[in-house]
Amino acid sequence: MRFDLDMPAWKWPFYIMRHPFEGFEDLRWKKAYNMKVALVIVALLFIVSVCSELMTGFLFENRTVKVFNIVPIIIRTIVIFFTWVVGNWALCTLFDGEGTMKNICVNTAYALVPYIIGQVINIILSNCLLRTESAFITFVSYVTILWTAVLLISGMKTVHQYSIPKTLLFMLITLLAMVVILILIVLLVSLFQQVYVFVYSIYTELLYRNANLEPTALVFIMIGVVVAVLAIIFASYTAFEKHKIAKERKKLNS
Amino acid sequence: MPSIKRMAARVSAAVMAAVTLTTTVAYADEPYTGYNYDWWGDPVPSQNGYVVDQIYTGNDMGAGPLTEPSDMFFSDNEDLFIADTSYKAEGATDSMKGRIVVTDSDFNLKFTVESLDFSAVQDWYDIKESELKSGAITQADYNKYTNPYFNGPTGVYVDTDEGVDTIYVADNANDRVVQFAIDEIGSDDHKLAVGKVQMVYTRPASNMYDASITFNPDKVLVDAAKNVYICIKSITKGAVVYSKEGDFNGYFGANRVEATGEVIMNAFWKLIFNREQAKRMRRSVPVEISNFDIDNDNFIYTVTESKTVTTDVLKKLNSAGTNIFTNLGYSDYTFGDYLTKYYRNKTYTSQITDVDVDENGVINLLDVATGRVFQYDDECQLLFIFGGLGQQKGTFTTPNAVESLGDKIYVLDGRKASVTVFKQTEFGAIVHNAIALFNKGKYEEAREPWEEAIRRDSNYWLAYIGLGNAYLNEGDYETAMKYFYYNSKTGYNDAFKSWRMNFIRDNFTLFAIIIVVLIIAIYVISSIRNKRRIKRRAEQERIFKERNKGKEDV
Repeated sequence: MRFDLDMPAWKWPFYIMRHPFEGFEDLRWKKAYNMKVALVIVALLFIVSVCSELMTGFLFENRTVKVFNIVPIIIRTIVIFFTWVVGNWALCTLFDGEGTMKNICVNTAYALVPYIIGQVINIILSNCLLRTESAFITFVSYVTILWTAVLLISGMKTVHQYSIPKTLLFMLITLLAMVVILILIVLLVSLFQQVYVFVYSIYTELLYRNANLEPTALVFIMIGVVVAVLAIIFASYTAFEKHKIAKERKKLNS
Repeated sequence: MPSIKRMAARVSAAVMAAVTLTTTVAYADEPYTGYNYDWWGDPVPSQNGYVVDQIYTGNDMGAGPLTEPSDMFFSDNEDLFIADTSYKAEGATDSMKGRIVVTDSDFNLKFTVESLDFSAVQDWYDIKESELKSGAITQADYNKYTNPYFNGPTGVYVDTDEGVDTIYVADNANDRVVQFAIDEIGSDDHKLAVGKVQMVYTRPASNMYDASITFNPDKVLVDAAKNVYICIKSITKGAVVYSKEGDFNGYFGANRVEATGEVIMNAFWKLIFNREQAKRMRRSVPVEISNFDIDNDNFIYTVTESKTVTTDVLKKLNSAGTNIFTNLGYSDYTFGDYLTKYYRNKTYTSQITDVDVDENGVINLLDVATGRVFQYDDECQLLFIFGGLGQQKGTFTTPNAVESLGDKIYVLDGRKASVTVFKQTEFGAIVHNAIALFNKGKYEEAREPWEEAIRRDSNYWLAYIGLGNAYLNEGDYETAMKYFYYNSKTGYNDAFKSWRMNFIRDNFTLFAIIIVVLIIAIYVISSIRNKRRIKRRAEQERIFKERNKGKEDV
């Protein structure tokens, strides 16, 4: 019986960081998966990335853009994280993986802790060191990235109960799945954009044709059109259902 | 009596009119806007460092119109030598083309050279004749080598030794470089003079010179030891070097091959291929150098005119042919415009066609694609950009050569057949003064002009670096850091190094106390936590045992 595992949820990531191989097993055994802590870690990852963009010392920053833009950072951290989780879950449930979406999310988040700590250390160091001492910063980032990689492999292995080669293989395939998901998302967004443009062009068309109509009235017209379309869809759907039920009844009766 | 109100209105109207008048009169714009590049490589508008002073055509000089002149050179006597490439005298045959026009620095004609006199090199003449008889050279070559006229001279250089000018002309279509002096000047309109040939440099007989490559000298240069450097467009191995005696000495200052994807792939295939297959591969050769100049310390600056290649656009070579800019990191800089511009179905990528180095080490590069002159200081920091393409005063159609004398810049345009003189603006003078002071090590004195430069153009980042250096030298590291921030990493590094040292030295006791306290605190806290943990563990085990008394399998 291990009493040292009775600890609050926020201590688990640090425990796992110190025990890369048995930590995740203990987590699994204790069923101590905590979504709140995982989300806090993801938020921290995002905040630290923003800080590293803004607060890295002048000597060590090599930004090529003048204006700070938060969108690439959101994509680099939050979007990539959740695509990884979704991609990994979607793949591994098909191939005997035992991990649920929540477990995968928690394990991945816990594995990111060394990377976040390394980033924080690097932000501080970059404001204290000279260019000739850049080896320290490279050292810290290499060590923490390696650590995170080891934790990630160990976490994925534990959560799905895979062997190590299988884990590595599926992590690689997950990367491909992520690419596919992201492409689909981009496609979807551009499609919706086109729909928006289509609707907007109809709106402007109406506006130009009926110049004396008020724009607010047009909005109501548009809403009316949308409601009418929805009503038609709903009515036809219910009619179809009724038809189906009637058919079933006929079958049962006969 | 007019009311005070009305009078005031009248006065203000008069003042307004005067202001409008003076502004319209004083408003003289250049056909180009000065700009500079900021830290991120974006172009930002800047004050003009140079404006057009005057334009001189051949007629202004008194030498008749020039025809596609392609090179010019200021001798140490401050005489301007222009290679008037396609000039044809009346009744000239096909192999008589071009002349050398010489004026003083105010563009008053001194003399022109159209023909050569070989009487002083009778020995060389005899050798060529015997070579012709033995079949070593063809009749055509012989005719070219001994042609008493120029045939499209594209390069001119003047070596002044104790006040005597020795002129070197790259006689392009005659396959030779002639070295001659002038003794007497004719009294006709063009002040025709005959060049007394002292030496002729022709195609080397050495087998180091590939037989399939032509020998059409494009530009010529002479160093302090009187070695002759000839730039030939068809040779990628660098400039051809001759000794004073006319012996072929090999090549000088080849460019590096740019590491493009193809070159890297070829290097990979070479590992796999056998010798026969490797031979059939396309060879990757560097781009040839297109022009050069020599400074007072005998360093040779070469430029490369290529749209696609960005390596070795500008090199500063010592006498051994090593690029000094490489070690200093300047060879990685971008020279000319940073970006390729696509405008009206034409791409504009910088093609540096000529280089000029003045006595202070300021480098002027002439870009043939955009017609701009890019001026750099001796550390390859961009100072000014001026000029452009067009038909107006101060713009060019085919800029061919750039020269500098004193604080003026001269640009030769081939199709316009004229020399445009640019003079420094007040702003340009301030910046150049500051740089000169800075290079002499007078950082304190350089501070005032740099501050003036910032007042006039707050985007001028070189001024911030200059001020930073001034404060750094003074020992005011914090201000220096402020000026270097987002202007110079090297300067910031140096300032920060000293600042950090001072900071640690001043607060050493504080640091020591903090560190000692931290160590003690960590020790105490960890020991307390350890004790607590052991206690808690014992407690938990006791409870567990009590609860499971009597059960065996635990």
